[in-house]
Formats: sequence, C-alpha cells, structure tokens
Amino acid sequence: MNQVDASSFHEIGRSVRRKEDFRLLTGKGHFADDYNMPGQAWTVMVRSPHAHARIVRIDAAKARAMPGVLAVFSGADCAADGLRPFNHNAVPSTKYDMKLTGPGGGSVFVGRHMLLPADKARYFGEAVAMVVAESREQAEDAADAVAVDYEPLRFLERTEDAVVPGAPAVWDEAPNNVLVDAFFGDHAATERAFAAADHVIGHEFHVGRIMPLPLEPRAGLAHYDAASGNYTLYFSTGGPGIVRQRRQFAAALAIDQEKLRLVALDTGGNFGTKNRPYVEHALALWAARKLGRPIKYRATRHESMLTEYQGRDLATKVELAMRKDGRFLAMRAENVMNVGAHCVSLSPLAKGAGLITGSYDIPAATLRARGIFTNTVPNNVMRSSGRPEVTFAIERLIDMAAAEFGFDRIALRRQNLIRPEQFPYTNAVGSTYDSATFEANMDLGMKIADWGGYEKRRQEAAARGRLRGLGFANYIESSTGSPRERAEITVTPTGRVEVVLGTQPSGQSHETSFAQVAADLLCVPIDNVEIILGDTEVVKEGGGSHSGRSMRHAATVLSLAAPELIEQGKALAADILGVAPADVDFAAGRFVSTRANRTFDFLELAKEAQARGGVLKVVKDNEMHTPVFPNGCAVCEVEVDPATGRVHLTRYAAVDDVGRCINPMTVDGQTHGSIAHGVGEALFEQICLDPASGRPLTESFEEYGMPSSTTLPPLTTEIVEVLSPTNPLGIKSGSEGATAGAPAAIISGLVDALKDFGIRDIAMPATPLAVWQAIENAKAGSQANNKARHGSWKWRA
Amino acid sequence: MARVSIKVNGKDEACEIKPRTLLVEFLRDHLGLTGTHVGCDTTQCGCCIVLIDGKAVNSCTMLAVQANGADVTTIEGLADGGKLHPMQAAFREHHALQCGFCTPGFIMSALELVAKKKNPTEADIRYGLLGNMCRCTGYENIIKAVKAGAEAMARVG
Ligand code: FES
Ligand code: FES
Repeated sequence: MNQVDASSFHEIGRSVRRKEDFRLLTGKGHFADDYNMPGQAWTVMVRSPHAHARIVRIDAAKARAMPGVLAVFSGADCAADGLRPFNHNAVPSTKYDMKLTGPGGGSVFVGRHMLLPADKARYFGEAVAMVVAESREQAEDAADAVAVDYEPLRFLERTEDAVVPGAPAVWDEAPNNVLVDAFFGDHAATERAFAAADHVIGHEFHVGRIMPLPLEPRAGLAHYDAASGNYTLYFSTGGPGIVRQRRQFAAALAIDQEKLRLVALDTGGNFGTKNRPYVEHALALWAARKLGRPIKYRATRHESMLTEYQGRDLATKVELAMRKDGRFLAMRAENVMNVGAHCVSLSPLAKGAGLITGSYDIPAATLRARGIFTNTVPNNVMRSSGRPEVTFAIERLIDMAAAEFGFDRIALRRQNLIRPEQFPYTNAVGSTYDSATFEANMDLGMKIADWGGYEKRRQEAAARGRLRGLGFANYIESSTGSPRERAEITVTPTGRVEVVLGTQPSGQSHETSFAQVAADLLCVPIDNVEIILGDTEVVKEGGGSHSGRSMRHAATVLSLAAPELIEQGKALAADILGVAPADVDFAAGRFVSTRANRTFDFLELAKEAQARGGVLKVVKDNEMHTPVFPNGCAVCEVEVDPATGRVHLTRYAAVDDVGRCINPMTVDGQTHGSIAHGVGEALFEQICLDPASGRPLTESFEEYGMPSSTTLPPLTTEIVEVLSPTNPLGIKSGSEGATAGAPAAIISGLVDALKDFGIRDIAMPATPLAVWQAIENAKAGSQANNKARHGSWKWRA
Repeated sequence: MARVSIKVNGKDEACEIKPRTLLVEFLRDHLGLTGTHVGCDTTQCGCCIVLIDGKAVNSCTMLAVQANGADVTTIEGLADGGKLHPMQAAFREHHALQCGFCTPGFIMSALELVAKKKNPTEADIRYGLLGNMCRCTGYENIIKAVKAGAEAMARVG
C-alpha cells in the first residue's frame, strides 16, 4: 500500500495532551450510569442460584403484588413476543482469520443466547427473569420474591470433565459438549521432523479464567417513544462499536434497526468484556416499550463479577522438536478453549491458533484447536485475546528446553528468531507476518532492563535472604478486527473540522490521536479538529475498537478521505479565483495559485463555501482485511521471600513495535495498562468456583486479586516503530501487545528465582500460597510442581 | 424522610431525602453531581471518594445524613472555571487517566495525601493510593502525576 509522505507531519509522533481530559477531570464525563430521565423505572434481574438447572416453573404472583412493582417477565414472555437470541458472530470470519470448524469439519454450533432462557440456566447467575419497579430497591426486593422452581443438573466447570462419556450436555445439540474441532498445519511434515529430531521438549499449560473487570459496571437507560416507535439506549460499550451492536440489539428485539438509536459516549474501561451485547440492555429496551416508561439498569459490582463476559481459559499441550545445535525443527500443539455456557466469541482460539510458533522460524507445525461448552460464564475476548495464551506456551517451552538441554535461553531465542530479511514471513500454520526486527527488540529490551547489572542485584538480594529471578519473553500478536471503517469529514464555516468515525474507545484517547492524524493530513490546527463518536444518529458505519484495529483503520480511511477533501478545496478555490482547478496547489496548508494573489486555508475556504451555498465535506468508506503483527519483548525481575512465598516484582521493562506511533504518551500509557493486565494474570487473578455448587467464590474485589499501586512495579517502556507495509501510515497497534508477553516473562522470572529447588514450572496465578507450596514440595522431593495443573486432559482423542 | 443540609463545593444544599440514602446517591441522584462514581459495593475501588471536611471518604459507605452539616468537596468543585486545579492539571500533563472512571477518586485521595505530607515520596504515594483501583493505567503515570501535582501545589502554596 502507498505510504503517506510523513515529512510534513508535526502533530503525528508528538505527545499531544488529551482533548478528553478536561471533561473527565472535572466530573463532566457521560458514563453509562450518568443518564436519568423523568419517570424512569428500574429493572433488576432474577438470577439462577445453580450452575446448571432446568427451569421448572416461575411463580411471580407474590412479586407482582409488592409495592412499586410494574412487571415481572420471564423467558416465556420473551418467546411470546418473538424476541430472538443474540447473534454474536462468534466464529471469526474475516479473510485472514484461521478457519474454525465443528467436529468433522462441519459448521460450528454456538448455542443460543436467549435474552432470558425458558429451558435451563446454564451458569450460576444467568438471568432467568426480570423485574421492573418504580425504584431500584423495590425491584431488588421483588426479585428476591420471585419463586423459581429449578431441577438442578450436574454442572461442568472444566473442559476435561465435559468430554468424558456420560458427562451432562450443556446443549442437546452438542451431546459431547464439543463445538469446535479443527486442525491446522502440515501433519506429515511435522511428524517427519519430530521423528528426525535430536531433542523434544513438551509440556501442558493452563492459562486460567480471569475477568477483564473495567471499573465501570455495566449500566444503561432505555427509552421508547410511542409516537415515533423509536427506541434509544444510553449506555457504555466497546468492541464492535455501536453500528454492529445496533444491528445485534435490533435483531434480538425483532425490530428495524432504523428504529433504534444507541448512544455511548464515555466508557469506563472495557478490555473485551463490553465487546458483546448484554441481555439487560436489550431487555430494558423491550420493557421500555411494553411499559411505556424509561427503564434504567445498573449492575452492582457483585453482579458484574458474576455475569460479565470473562476471558482466557485455554489448556494447551505443546511440544517442540530441536536439532542438537539448538535449531527448532517443528512444533505440535493442542489447544482447548473453555467457551462457557454458550459461545459469544471464538476469537481467542482462532487468534492464538495463527500464532503458536511465536516469533520463531519453525519450519513445520500442527495444531488441533477445540472449543468446549461448560457451565461457566461465557468466555469472550479479553485484552490481547488468544495471544497471551500461546505466547505463554512457546516462551515457557523455550525456557524449559534451554534448561533441559543445556542452552542459554537468550542465545537459543536469538538463533531461532525470524530475521528481518525473511519478511513478509508465512509461519507454519499459515499466518503472514508483515514486518519486525525481533532481535533488535531483544537487544533494546535487555538494555533498558539493565540485563548486565542483574547479577549484582541478585547477589544483593541473596544477602537479604531473597531469591531473585530474571525473566524474559518475546511476543508477537495479530491485529485484525472488523474490516470496514468510514470517515465523514466536514469543515464548518465556524472553523471546525468535524470528523465522524465508527470506533468505540474506552480510554484509548481517540479524540486526541485521531485529531493528530486529521490535523496533519489536512494541515489544519489540531485545536480545530473535533472527533465525533458514539451516537448512531451520526455514526452510520464503522467497526468499533477491538483487536488493535482503531488507529490503523481510522488513519487509513482518513488518509483516503483527505486527498478527496483537498481536491474539493482546490475546485472551490479555483472557482473563487477564476482559475482552472489544475492551477491550484495545496501547499503547507494553503490553497494557492500562481495566477492569483489570494490564498486560503481550509477554514477560510469553508466560509467561502458557505457563502456560495456549498459545504466542504467528504464521506469515505474503506475495507481493509490484511492483518498486522505488533511485536516486542518483556524483561522482568522478581524477588521471592522463600519463607512466605510472596513474589515481589522489582523491575519491569517492555519493548513494543507498534508501527508508526501517533502519540507516544498515550501509547506508553496503553502499554502500562497492558502490562498490568499481564501482571494480574500471572500473580493474582483467578476465578474460583465452589466445586460442590458451581457458585463463584470470587464475587467482589475482596476475593479477586486486582493489581494495586503497591503490587505493580515501576514500568520502563520503549516504543519501536517498524512501519507496516500494509497501510498508508505504517501503523500496527499499541495497547494489547504488552499483555501478551507479560505472563510468560513474569513466570520465567519466577522460575528462574526458584530454579535451585529444581522447579521448572509454576501454575498461574503464582500466589504466595502457590509459591510457598512449590518450595515446600521441592524440599520434600516431590515432582508435583512440574506437572501441569490441568494435567488430566486426554490429548489426541 | 430526613432533612439534610450539606455544604457541597461551597454551596449549601438542603434536601428532604430517604434516611437510607447514601452520600454518593445524594451527590449523584439528588444534586446531579455525576463526577463521583460507583465502581463496587464493598468499599474497595475508591471511585466514590470525596473530601469531607478535608478528609478523603468513600461516599458509597456513608449515609447522607451522616454528612449533615459537613463541608463536602467533589471533583466538580476543584477547577476554577476553565482553569484546572494543579492536581487535575498534573493528571492531564502526565497522562494519568485513560477511561477516567477512577480519576475523580484518585484526585480526591491525592489531595488528602498531599494535605498530610507536602512532598510525598514514591513509596508514600503508592501506599497512600492503596484505597483506589485503576484498571487502565498500571498506576505508573498516576504516581508521577501525584508527585508533580504535590510539587505544583507546594509552589502555589
Ligand atoms: S464505590 Fe467502590 S469504594 Fe465506593
Ligand atoms: S483510568 Fe480507567 S480505571 Fe483508571
């Protein structure tokens, strides 16, 4: 793709302070719970107290008679009104996605996400009825009074239990609970390479179930106007953005999408969990029509933690074949994703599938990828979905191979990295990486981490009785996402450049960084640029914000729109000056002609346009499928207190190749947050179910390990800009990559700290108890440490 | 119903409210001051922190009637028209907010911290902010901002 001339950029690449901040710093944001309307009623859900149970009968008579109660609705009412299950587009389907299939190569049965199920509750906390009342307290009290008869069924938490003969079926349509079973790579070549290998190392890992946990619980206000038949939902969201969610909500409600307006202005964090529609929002819209009242919903934190879409939960078995000089020859992997009670996204499985060989030149590989239903909360994309899982597997495996066969772990990586001259590089499962300088990333990472000074720090820690460890991981991830984006640029006579786009930020600074791009492409002052997002009244097309797509798609469509707007400007200027359009140039932000003295910038020209009854405006659509591959590495140092098992992260450095960086300040900020998610996963975060009842035990911040200001270390980050040849500005993505590398780097450091005990693996999260237990096991001579936690999977069925 | 009279951001607010009304509900629902946020129900996230007579308090864990007669400052009460308070300005300058949901609570905690100790160290700040959660920033820039905000406040006295 043609690269844009960057020589005149002065906003792109600068740490411009954010346009968003004034409103957010003064309490003037518009978050989901900030909307209220006169006459609003409240809805509260009745939730299943069983992880798996048949719904026998719902008796709402008592609840209906309680003060303030306006209605109680169940799944039967939804069915009677013709409400439909959500279509989540769960199977990734863009051109470059790995193609997942059902067992035997057939289509994938994803379950049915009914707004309220009429047959069964399939996970603890699933909504089975809704109550609407004048106040939230009245609705809460009435929800407690709805009597639901359940017939509890055996429930499934772990995928390995879901596939054994005789296991209960979450869905009758998938009697063995398998929805995906797909194979990738060259089986024969891989087997040959394994047969000829000098060394083979293999291991099983389980990257556990965690929560995205944005701090803003989901909420919304639904309104129905009987006169026009129009619905409006004020809420906060992310991911696919309001254009797709509008289609999804309209389809579930069986209404024309033109009748539905979605407004989502400020979103208090997302990280994937708001990437799929929620039943409560659809139900509020439905009830608003049925009852003729605005309906408000606000989840408690407790409810959010019970029912918000979760992430990760991939079991993987990996094997690596090597020559005795350390050259990697082939890889085999079997990945199993626990999709939960119904499938909202297979993106983690597919994304990971394309990246199993990581940053390394491995000539042959095969992968079997499976998706399994269980009675757990639906599993969705979560920041860097799928990539931390496979990065963990390959990076940990390389550390293990180094330890087992006597290689230096850094040298072994260097020897096998894909070299810059090999790009574009197609890996053994068919993903084509665009560009990277992996070894230079490593050098930079080790430099900013002061790798050379580590030994001194280790000795100093040892003198204090602490075990210090040094961890390292490379990563590569893929950014794809919704292929369509639209930019609508209007230069107003009041001197504003209004840019409408269909992305859906939740803290990623689009109003600032997109304005930087527009300002440079049109040579207008950044202060005059206003980015408009988040309201389907104005946003008619666009793919939202997920999979690191936003800046790449926005900048690409802007760079296609800008020349058209400049042509319009030239034509208008020519008209005013009475010269031919070919005689007008656009130079240094001004429309000039050698045949006239007068010149204009865009803002002056917009006034002229108005005076002539015209407008400077362009609408440009773009479709772009080619993925990009952000990449980088992480170095971390940990200290373990062997008496308590407490792990202290002491240093952390990350290098991220994001392609062209528009705003280093915000990209660094994204990297910091991205690291924090990886730290949480590695050390603290874990969803626990009571094995007897299936009830989640992690229902509040008291039980769930959120990283805090004292558990995160100071972070050192560097941005690398290897321009991607796939789009005009050379953009890759920043914000998800550091999450991909962090868990592997941290566990690498931890295992390094514990290596004298013979420990070569430790399961995540490495809580003080887990670490202390591992040390005690090692002292007692047990090998339990080095067996994967979910080691009972029968691989290769 | 109970009658409360609370000074909020310098303005006397007198209202009839249900006795069970939490202070945060009073601020958000009765006064429309939606800058104070609710992120949890177990007094842990700190999104709801306001200053009551200069002390940082979780407004989700206090009844409005308990604040009767008190002087409450919320995030809306800090800027001087278009001019940000030095701590707000430091958050902007150091990119200490992304989604901004946690930010009002952090700023209120930071103000109490600085009131207690003029020039806090990095460790003081990290411990001082343990009652505030942020899921976006990894805390890195928040720590820097609070340090810079403290210095700026010391400069202006
Ligand atoms: S809302 Fe979380 S501490 Fe108050
Ligand atoms: S900025 Fe989003 S939670 Fe802190």
